[in-house]
Amino acid sequence: MVNLTIDGKKITVKKNATIYEAAQEAGIHIPVLCYAKKLLPYGACRVCLVEVEQMKGRLIPSCTTPVTEGMVVTTTSDEIQKVRKTVLEFLLVNHVVDCPVCDKGGECDLQDLTYEFEVVKNRFEGVKFDLPKDEVNPLIERNMNRCVLCGKCVRVCDEIVAYGSYSFINRGFETKIATAFDRGLNCEFCGQCVSMCPVGAILPRPFKFKARPWQLKEVDSVCGYCGNGCTVTLGVKDNKVETIRFNDKTGVNDGNLCIRGRFGYSYVNSEERLQKPLLRKDGALVEVSWNEALEAVVAGFNGAKNAGGVGILSGARLTNEEFHLLKKLAGTLGSTNLDHSGGECYKGLTEGLQETLGLTASTGTFPQVEECDVILSIRSDFYETHPVFGMVINQAVKRNEAQLIVVADKKGKFGTLPHAATLLAKPGLEVNILNAMAAVLIEEGLAVTEGVENLDALKASLAEYAVDKVAAESGVAAEALRKAARQLAAAKKSAILLAYGLPYSANSKELGIAAANLSILSGNAGREGSGLYLCGEKANSQGAIDLQVLPGQGGLGAQAMLAAAGEGKLGALYVIGEDPLTSYPDRAKVEAALAKAKFVVVQDLFLSPTAEQADVVLPAVSFAEKDGTFTNAERRIQRVRPGVTRPGEARSDAEIFTALGALFGSTLSYTGPAAIFADLAQAVPGYAGIDFTAIGAQGVVWGGEQLAPTRKKVVPVAGGKPVTSAFQLVTGSALYHSGTMSTRAKGPLAVIPEPYLELGREDAAALKVAEGDLLKLKGNGVELQLKAKIGNRLPKGVVFAPYHFASAGINRLYRGEAAVSVEVSK
Amino acid sequence: MSNAAEQVEQEEIDLTGANQVIDKYLDMHGALMPVLQEIQEVYGYVPEPCVHLVAERLNVYSSQIYGVLTFYAQFHLEPRGKYIVRVCMGTACHVKGAGRIGDTLKDRLGVGHAETTEDLKFTAEYVACIGACGMAPVIMVNDATYGSMTVNKMNEVIDKYVKMD
Ligand code: SF4
Ligand code: SF4
Ligand code: SF4
Ligand code: FES
Ligand code: FES
Repeated sequence: MVNLTIDGKKITVKKNATIYEAAQEAGIHIPVLCYAKKLLPYGACRVCLVEVEQMKGRLIPSCTTPVTEGMVVTTTSDEIQKVRKTVLEFLLVNHVVDCPVCDKGGECDLQDLTYEFEVVKNRFEGVKFDLPKDEVNPLIERNMNRCVLCGKCVRVCDEIVAYGSYSFINRGFETKIATAFDRGLNCEFCGQCVSMCPVGAILPRPFKFKARPWQLKEVDSVCGYCGNGCTVTLGVKDNKVETIRFNDKTGVNDGNLCIRGRFGYSYVNSEERLQKPLLRKDGALVEVSWNEALEAVVAGFNGAKNAGGVGILSGARLTNEEFHLLKKLAGTLGSTNLDHSGGECYKGLTEGLQETLGLTASTGTFPQVEECDVILSIRSDFYETHPVFGMVINQAVKRNEAQLIVVADKKGKFGTLPHAATLLAKPGLEVNILNAMAAVLIEEGLAVTEGVENLDALKASLAEYAVDKVAAESGVAAEALRKAARQLAAAKKSAILLAYGLPYSANSKELGIAAANLSILSGNAGREGSGLYLCGEKANSQGAIDLQVLPGQGGLGAQAMLAAAGEGKLGALYVIGEDPLTSYPDRAKVEAALAKAKFVVVQDLFLSPTAEQADVVLPAVSFAEKDGTFTNAERRIQRVRPGVTRPGEARSDAEIFTALGALFGSTLSYTGPAAIFADLAQAVPGYAGIDFTAIGAQGVVWGGEQLAPTRKKVVPVAGGKPVTSAFQLVTGSALYHSGTMSTRAKGPLAVIPEPYLELGREDAAALKVAEGDLLKLKGNGVELQLKAKIGNRLPKGVVFAPYHFASAGINRLYRGEAAVSVEVSK
Repeated sequence: MSNAAEQVEQEEIDLTGANQVIDKYLDMHGALMPVLQEIQEVYGYVPEPCVHLVAERLNVYSSQIYGVLTFYAQFHLEPRGKYIVRVCMGTACHVKGAGRIGDTLKDRLGVGHAETTEDLKFTAEYVACIGACGMAPVIMVNDATYGSMTVNKMNEVIDKYVKMD
């Protein structure tokens, strides 16, 4: 700790604090422009100059100067104020005065400072810039005439996003911020630069002319897309979500968001939202009253009782409270056929982890990963499924020099980070690789074996996965495998990351177990600061697992339900917040299920392709209209708050479940989220003792920062066989989308409007295809046509298609395999 | 596929030379400047595809490389002519009529500062003092210096180079 005096006030701060941070802690205001809490100190704008007695003779930038013992700082004096005012006058020489139309007006740092320092006239005069605006992309407008060259956009895009869109170009007076070759922006569109820019130089285009900042009502909530669980602050006007605003005071994301969180909110305001229940009459869906719709559901479910019962398939974006009510409703209906999101894809979590470590959740929290010295990321798409967690990893690597090992079938951004090694394997062989690493640990005597059950069985099974053998079949160098295993074993704190989701249903249980084996053998399991991170795809995937939205005794899982329905063995299918026809593997199976089930109810926001097939469609509400909690992939329970009111007669899932329950004789009444939470906290281990009203800005991590494994049992798992065809298709998430919901949101859709087939340059050259050409994709007896997207990520012979789009029919071809053997031609 | 930004057609060039340059420096830390300089020696300028290649192979952002290329006057992002005609616009030359010399060049070749003729034969550049003020106004064509220029003399010099290959 260091003692110093600021403006006569004696204060003590931590050793590496800057003067600015020290002042802030003491409640002393120093103006800043280029400073940002989450970026490294930079010192470009000079607005924060202060006087330090020990460094007399010049003014010192407080945002970059570390405190020293006994320092005496003065933050305001006539001279300092004069210099600050001059700094502003200089900035205003170049800066256009177009505040009246600037969307930043009212929350612009330059405007605020100009006001604070009463700059009413300028002693300097100069040529104003007249640079063209960048309006090429639909999301981010850049007007460099307003830029004050603070470099925050450059820094955030490099330090945190690791994309590196911007740079300072030219020099002297001509200096400006630009992309390579000074073109329009074409990037991840995460909008971090938008939120960092202190002036109106970088602005969100969808927000243009929607509201003045002070007219917006701010509501803190949680992003409805992925399991990262970023907190968002909705900017609401006239009952519409008009923007997502920067907020680094809540949650664990430091105000960082990805394109989906920042620009993917418009579906909430969509005209296409379902507003009234629909009932199939004479073959067509027609609007009816809630009473009529619910009566039809009751009749349908009653009719199903003796015809195989009801199968309930839930999405993973319901709140915990809603999952709890759904469980109760299933009980009332007497159905144990309950599952969520693809069922198969969470087997790793729900069965694999239970078997090995005795738990079904991540063992650590995201901020811990920043302190890890070795990080093993399984699948390069990790930063695409959970982009903001990806940013945490960037920082661990770039700031704290963590070693990053990526096991993947395509190259990704992770691989370009310093100290990163990508073990680029043929698709579907991740388990083999993890097994080989386990084999190295044992062979070289690096494995932690004390108190580990079942070791001999594992050892015996690993004979199959000798490093050289796995190297030969996977294409990863044997030495790289050995090195990775040794790094993991030598780590003081390590993180093993694994993402789960609908497009990853193949081998999911095996993968979970293989990762857990490695966690145990490398000493990762149970060690302070280390963790195994199991990240579910959707906003409340973890909640669904915690609340056991899973098949009960003798009940069917998602895939089994669909199979049973397809054989006419399930009386009714109740699909909630999910569009299986679009997103589940093997569309033919889903089609058969929907056609053969005697009665189908779909509860959703939109008339999805699945809903179009239903007998009854119940209009539900979005995350922005709900009150309750989500649990993210690090077990953090966070408050979801309603920012807008529901469209038409739509009802929350909670209300629908209670109403239905009542019709079936349940006495449960919905008295709001707090009461339901209190009820569920008694039923769910780990949630006990958590008080809904006490969930603060950072949420509550159930089980604590570190969740201790209850056992350590290694289990042999079989790896995959390499697919030998010339082309292999893998499917998955595209960074810009999440599930099928984002395809209803204008922002993500503007960037990636349609399905595509991605291939590497080498294959593109061999096939003589150019970007955007139509390609034929044949496999599993199905032929599709998709536009080509050419890039550097994919190795020869591997093609990739995102699974989000209904029209693509990827799931006609993809039936849940780790990799589909396909033919690709022009 | 992303329709979020303009699609940019890239020129087709043979990257063998650039790859060779990068190979040499691959293991050297902070090799960006020499790599760019040598690439410019090979191609006469730094073609865009080379920038992206360097970005990928040296793991530097393209935007950063572009920042470097636009910061230093020594780098050229466009193909340059066989003959670089530098017209000095320094004070001494200016006083002695460098303006007219520049105009003559423009009239004859149709190119102004930092522009190159379509046949890639000439690039015009207006530069600051070349350090031969005694002979003002001065021009240089590649390494050859011509002093005490007049409009007539300028025409002669241009004629001479037009005839050369
Ligand atoms: S939107 Fe994100 S990726 Fe794009 S330039 Fe801004 S910070 Fe970088
Ligand atoms: S665009 Fe904004 S963030 Fe970037 S340097 Fe200019 S003022 Fe700073
Ligand atoms: S989609 Fe995921 S990573 Fe992106 S903002 Fe939402 S929660 Fe965060
Ligand atoms: S805030 Fe300190 S120099 Fe900009
Ligand atoms: S001014 Fe032209 S050579 Fe010096």
